[in-house]
Amino acid sequence: MEDLLKLLTGPVFRLCFAIMLLGLLRIFFLDIWSAYSAYRKAGDKTMPWKLIFSRSMEWIFPAKRIAHNRPFYSVFSVLFHIGLLIVPLFLFAHVQLWKESLGFGWITLPYQWAYILTISTIVFAVALFIGRLLNKSSSFISRKQDYLWPLILLVPFVTGFVCAHLSVNPKIYQSFMLMHVLSADLIFILIPFTKIAHCVLMPLSQFVCTIAWKFPPETDDAVCSTLNKKGAKV
Amino acid sequence: MLKTNQISPEENKKAFTSIRKKEVNERQNLNVRYHIEDFNVNDRPQRFLEAFAAILKHSNYKMALDHFIRMSAKCSRCATTCQVYQATGDPKDIPCYRTELLLSVYRRHFTMGGLLKGRLSGSGFLTDEKIQEMAESFWNCTACRRCSLECPSGIDHGLITHLGRYILSEIGIAPRALVVSTREQLEGTTGNTSAIPVPALKDTLEFLEDDMFEEKNVKIKFPIDVENTDYVFFPAVSDFLMEAESLMGIAAVFKATGDSWTTGTGYFDGINYGLFYSDRMLERVVKKVDAETKRLKGKNILIGECGHASRSAKYFIPTYCGGKDALPVINIMEYTYKVWKEGRLKFDPDVVTEKVAYHDPCNIARQRWIIEKPRELLKAFCKNYVEMTPNRENNICCGGGGGTVSIDEIRPYRTTVGGKLKADQIRKSGCSILVAPCANCKKQLRELVEDQKIDCQVVGLHDLIYKAIIFDESKVVQQKLPEGKV
Repeated sequence: MEDLLKLLTGPVFRLCFAIMLLGLLRIFFLDIWSAYSAYRKAGDKTMPWKLIFSRSMEWIFPAKRIAHNRPFYSVFSVLFHIGLLIVPLFLFAHVQLWKESLGFGWITLPYQWAYILTISTIVFAVALFIGRLLNKSSSFISRKQDYLWPLILLVPFVTGFVCAHLSVNPKIYQSFMLMHVLSADLIFILIPFTKIAHCVLMPLSQFVCTIAWKFPPETDDAVCSTLNKKGAKV
Repeated sequence: MLKTNQISPEENKKAFTSIRKKEVNERQNLNVRYHIEDFNVNDRPQRFLEAFAAILKHSNYKMALDHFIRMSAKCSRCATTCQVYQATGDPKDIPCYRTELLLSVYRRHFTMGGLLKGRLSGSGFLTDEKIQEMAESFWNCTACRRCSLECPSGIDHGLITHLGRYILSEIGIAPRALVVSTREQLEGTTGNTSAIPVPALKDTLEFLEDDMFEEKNVKIKFPIDVENTDYVFFPAVSDFLMEAESLMGIAAVFKATGDSWTTGTGYFDGINYGLFYSDRMLERVVKKVDAETKRLKGKNILIGECGHASRSAKYFIPTYCGGKDALPVINIMEYTYKVWKEGRLKFDPDVVTEKVAYHDPCNIARQRWIIEKPRELLKAFCKNYVEMTPNRENNICCGGGGGTVSIDEIRPYRTTVGGKLKADQIRKSGCSILVAPCANCKKQLRELVEDQKIDCQVVGLHDLIYKAIIFDESKVVQQKLPEGKV
């Protein structure tokens, strides 16, 4: 079991992490490249940078935006995201693992904060799942992955919590740790291919949408030619 | 957040009853509420996909579609923002659902993953039923883009509605009201959407000049076909028929400042329904505005009180007519504000005493373009100005946006569903005068207050300016008439 864990936290983890990193880099730069190509084609090249920046910031730090629309859902979602980002990155045990493979580490979460954030992430993940299930509009537009993601994300948090905070016998500990590491590896692989890609694409949205409204010139003729509509009446 | 109650079953029935004949629905194989000219109904899915492909090839939409399909999180925050969904409670009116209609076609037919999955499962092909759903859904939306502000992922549902309508129009599915008007504008003898012949235009303007002289005792001109002016004026052409006071207010402002302006008889229509249903038409109309301004050697394109006309010109003249070298476009509110700030306008603060509120047209406010200027102008002479909340970039659509106001056969839908939240907001504000600097908003809001029985008068900004403007003859600048043919 220990060898398996070592494999999963070592080479397999590195492979999964690389898939995630390369996948995210691919879609991020594809987005940037497409936007740049579109910008080059656009007839109007003026960009409202201030508006793009302020609207992007409003959603990266959504304090201004959350309270007036579905406040519970929105606040839960923000708190859930905070835990989701901070715990995996700054948990003492995780930083130690990074230190072992990279040779350097970074600041870690105090024990109590790690405890609170893990619990809150679990609670908010459950709340968001239930919210999606019970809210008429959310459930109508939800796909399978929208229901599955909160549940998948729960696994490493619950198992990690059990391993870190509950005294269990070594065999159970190892089983939980195995689930913890396996689920984390799976999540890494899935991130670039599912909606979680928003972790890198979301900051680009305002920029992309602005450019999408910047049409290329002379498209009337071009579309008419392609559709054999040259000379057709309005 | 302002919310409205769901409409009753009776109201729902009224709003969604179609006046289209059954045989037309059968002939067109389409059950929608707006009239459509007859079109080829054969191989519709195939032709839809061909049009989609052609548009993707010659546009920048693909980039946005790729971005959206990778990250849409389906949080449904847009649902609570949408005035249509709030009124109907029908989940098919959720902006994200509407967007998904087109995204699913894109994913299935234009992405590698979708094509593979489709091949393997042998399903997911675009069907007539799906086209039917899109034809209905994209015209239930008022394209106000308020939902886009509420999407944490930043998905612009308005862009998808815009694209969806464009593709549908290429296979013949577009409201007849818009198509016929655009045909007259681009190919008709009058060259404008209201089919006003030039002699009738001249008569109207002369009549307005006489009216102004009677009311203000000042000779105010509507210059026609003057070359080399600072501003060539393009109002929504329907203003010449329906918004005399707005036009008189604008003429009065120019009289007071003495700046040169003109209306061209070669082309005088700011309306651009292309923005609502076809980029190809958008391009053609915008080019007419540019050509007329150049014919008259004007320095600036001045758009009247009209949201979509202003947005089409402001954002698409540079696109289709020269990029950074394109003629500058300004909206009349910007001009009036500028000259007022320069101290060239005087208002009587005792004329407008009623409770006045300002309605932000979506096409002007959503992008934070002109927001404070009209408010400052109104506060300068309205004793009792009130704000409706939410406002500015978060304003609530009048319910007739996206060209739907011009589709008369869906008036019950517009005033029962589309405008319900706005009606609640107007009632709540208690205003007796509602200022809406947009021809479309004005028409819709007048029908809305009538159908919803709200005691409120809907006017343009320059209607009130016309009332309040003071002409001190000794200070009125002689109107500049630059050298050139008159």
